[in-house]
Amino acid sequence: MMVWKRLAYLLPWRRRSAERDMQEELRSIAAMAEPRELGNLTLAAEDARAEWGWTRLEEVAQDIRYAVRGLVKQPGFTVTAVVSLALGIGANTALFTLINTVTWKMLPVRDPEHLLVLGQQDPTSVSNGFTYQQYQAIRDHTHSMDVAAYSRVPLNVSIEGSTEPTAEGQLVSGNYFSLLGVRPARGRLLGPDDDRVPSGHPVAVISDGYWKGQFARDPEIVGRQLSLSGVPFTIVGVTPPEFFGVEVGTGPKIFVPVMVQPIVMPVSENLLDHPGLYSTWLRTFGRVEPGVSLAKASAQLNALAKDADWRPRNKFTGAREDVKLVLRSAATGLSDLRHQFSLPLFILTGVVGIVLLIACANTGNLVLARSAARRPEFALRLALGAGRSRLIRQVLIEALVLAGVAGACGVGLAYWATQGLVAYASAGRSAIVLDVTPDLRVLAFTAALSTLAGLLFGSVPAIRASRLDIALGGQRDLARTRHALGGPGPGKALVVSQVALSLVLLVGAGLFVRSLQNLNRQETGSDQTRVLVVRVEPRGSDQRNAAGATDRLDRIYRELIERVERIPGVQSASLARTSSLTPISFSSRLTRPSGADASVQTLMLYPRYFATMGIPPVKGRDFGDNDLRSDSPLAVIVNEAFVRETLNRQDPLGVQHRVTMVTGLSPQGVPHRQPVNIIGVVRDSRYPALRDATPPIMYQTFLQMRTGRGQMVLHVRVAGNPAEIVRQVRSAVQAIDKAVPMFEVHTLADEVDAALVRERLIATLSSAFGIVALVLVCIGLYGLIAFTVSRRAAEIGIRIALGATRSDVGGLIARQALRLVLAGIAAGLPAAWIVGRLASRQLSGVLFELTPADPITMMAATILLVLVAMCAGALPARRAARIDPIVALRNE
Amino acid sequence: MEPLYGVLDMLVLRTLLFGPLHGYAIARAIHDTSRETLHIEFGSLYPALKRLELKGWIAAKWEMSEHKRRAKVYRLTPAGRTRLRQEKSEWAEFVSAVARIMKPAAREIDS
Repeated sequence: MMVWKRLAYLLPWRRRSAERDMQEELRSIAAMAEPRELGNLTLAAEDARAEWGWTRLEEVAQDIRYAVRGLVKQPGFTVTAVVSLALGIGANTALFTLINTVTWKMLPVRDPEHLLVLGQQDPTSVSNGFTYQQYQAIRDHTHSMDVAAYSRVPLNVSIEGSTEPTAEGQLVSGNYFSLLGVRPARGRLLGPDDDRVPSGHPVAVISDGYWKGQFARDPEIVGRQLSLSGVPFTIVGVTPPEFFGVEVGTGPKIFVPVMVQPIVMPVSENLLDHPGLYSTWLRTFGRVEPGVSLAKASAQLNALAKDADWRPRNKFTGAREDVKLVLRSAATGLSDLRHQFSLPLFILTGVVGIVLLIACANTGNLVLARSAARRPEFALRLALGAGRSRLIRQVLIEALVLAGVAGACGVGLAYWATQGLVAYASAGRSAIVLDVTPDLRVLAFTAALSTLAGLLFGSVPAIRASRLDIALGGQRDLARTRHALGGPGPGKALVVSQVALSLVLLVGAGLFVRSLQNLNRQETGSDQTRVLVVRVEPRGSDQRNAAGATDRLDRIYRELIERVERIPGVQSASLARTSSLTPISFSSRLTRPSGADASVQTLMLYPRYFATMGIPPVKGRDFGDNDLRSDSPLAVIVNEAFVRETLNRQDPLGVQHRVTMVTGLSPQGVPHRQPVNIIGVVRDSRYPALRDATPPIMYQTFLQMRTGRGQMVLHVRVAGNPAEIVRQVRSAVQAIDKAVPMFEVHTLADEVDAALVRERLIATLSSAFGIVALVLVCIGLYGLIAFTVSRRAAEIGIRIALGATRSDVGGLIARQALRLVLAGIAAGLPAAWIVGRLASRQLSGVLFELTPADPITMMAATILLVLVAMCAGALPARRAARIDPIVALRNE
Repeated sequence: MEPLYGVLDMLVLRTLLFGPLHGYAIARAIHDTSRETLHIEFGSLYPALKRLELKGWIAAKWEMSEHKRRAKVYRLTPAGRTRLRQEKSEWAEFVSAVARIMKPAAREIDS
């Protein structure tokens, strides 16, 4: 109770009212008694205040006021310190915000802590996907749990006749919204009645963002229409602004019932009627019914998983897979980002941590120089009876005020930086949508970090202040000379550690940049800008099962290629199912000549793909018109890795018909096999999977392959200016089918850039922070040397008077700077090596054909650091050389 | 004579047992009740009042005094009453302990 009462006095108005009350009471008593009788009332009031614990508080308030006044008086110092600290704190806050948003923030739905996500666990992994039939069985046979399902799907949207960019959508089960406890912002959300008849519910709910962006917040939105893959849908409601489903990082814009899957989902089959190739396209989550234990729900689910009919079939062998159903908390949602960006976030956390340390060292140095200049003031205060603890407290409070201001700036900086980071990371792919407004956790983190930083850089001058000798402080000049000549002062130690830390950072940045260069060099180099990548999706590309649909599509595709190849300036064109951003490959099951089974990645494409992409042929021929027919013998082209690994270097053209491939499963689950005719071999290409060593790959044609259709990627090799040809490619696509949405057109170089977003992110940011570190080191070194020069002015004056030349003096100072830098490098190189070793496992994930201890990188970083640091040291050295001995000695 | 250090709190609590009093009246009451032996500087009493108030043993309220003057009047709270009992028994123990030590010596001093 006492504590609370005391704390209440932190509030200024409470303190003021208590003070008024006390003064009034003392006045009333003074009026009753003889003045002599009462003694010293001022002292009584002072003692009473001490009882309340105000004295301490008032002293602190005084210190803060004093610190602020002092900082305002020296704007140069304050701005430098605040900016460097704000950079450090801001960078750390930005990363913390990202990690917090992606990993820890609770979903904005009802009772997120009770939300569970279902997974299928086989011996090697857990998958979150289920077939519709599996979901139905779970929903109907599990009474202890309420289960909902959704599937992410890109939607082809057209609003009032105009073709819109594809929108991220979700197919949702009827109980999806009610289970999440979401209330509509407008109209109504989808309910169980919207999810009964296959293809029978053309209704949609749109997100707040889509309503704002595409419909200008039309108040009459309910009842308006939009068409999805050519079928009109009625908008029945809008979701609230904060809602994004359960997948962090996604921003679904349109929600439609699962039952309309055959209409909107660009995959091969109607997945509601048929499990297809065991496409596990639905993600499911749920809540345990009140009063049912988690264990019971789990047991009920696994009883179901034991049922043979429920278990998924293996795509190749047809055998039922052995799986378990697992429940995991979905309180913070699901996210692919966690997996995808955990490595960059880990590395960048280390980078920004180092930046903050450098910023602390820098500020520590500035504060130290400033407190050295204030020695006489401190000495005077000590002599007048100020306690040492009071002086230390004051120095620390000054540091904390500085850190507090920097922290506040840092939060702003971080908000801006996080949005930039998210935009950068989502370049060229489906946008990452994250709410990065700082929450309480972020603010607490920043406050803690700022305090820690303040204590860190404030502790050195604070300790100095505590050791201050009154006598020495009085004899200013003596102190000054001693400090300048003295041994390893804390200022020097700080600069040395700054140099060492920046070297670690520069080496890291150098490694990431060189690794990115290595990755980019993989491909055909200058050619990348001459290849256009165009995603297309003709109407009906989802209707594989309709009679004649695939033949019709094949005709459309071939006509498209022909039309594009006729455009002047186009050298060749081809269609493929894949690009580096959407590496969709299908896995085929082969029987090798030796009789053993193998699973091989298979890519689907049209003739002249290799010529267009610049992949050189090695042997055999390209696909011809005969290979495109579904009834001709299975023809495939393989890469060199296939020859090496799958065929054990046997002549690929000589193993005809001894390789067979599984082409389907009978309804009873018996695999069909067909002999494979290898017609050609091409060079290994890192495209489409840029990072990994090239696996064995098989290339097949459209009609001979049984896989999903949907989006295709048109590759065009151009001779002239790509920008001009893009327009003509567009009209060629439009001529085939007016309604074909052309998603993006960019060059292969852009495509590769986007695929390397992780690497680019790390390289760019670590370089940027490396530059920040360099700047901070320069400021630190310059500050220290300039400070020494000003302190040693008299000594230098004497030297010059005694006959030292200007260059002697300049050299003296420059050598001092060089010694500091070299000491820093001597510490930094082993540190960089150790950091590289410690993080080698993480680094090897992002370093391409490079070790963490790459000598070229280390050398380059060292040379850069020495050059830049010497520039910073040269300025004060020049000033030292220009010292006029008469002026210097007169001032002394 | 000033009261012993640490006893002041108990004296204030005991004084307020008779009824609410303002600050100056408390000092006077202690002075009078001790038959003018104990003299308390108001400067020492006042911080003690603030301390007791903070601990919740006494409570203060502005009231009109007999002379139609506004005065801040302190009263004993239930917590204060408990505290007084405790201090009183501790005090009694202390006094008897001191007395036991001092008894034999008394003759020596007298002689």
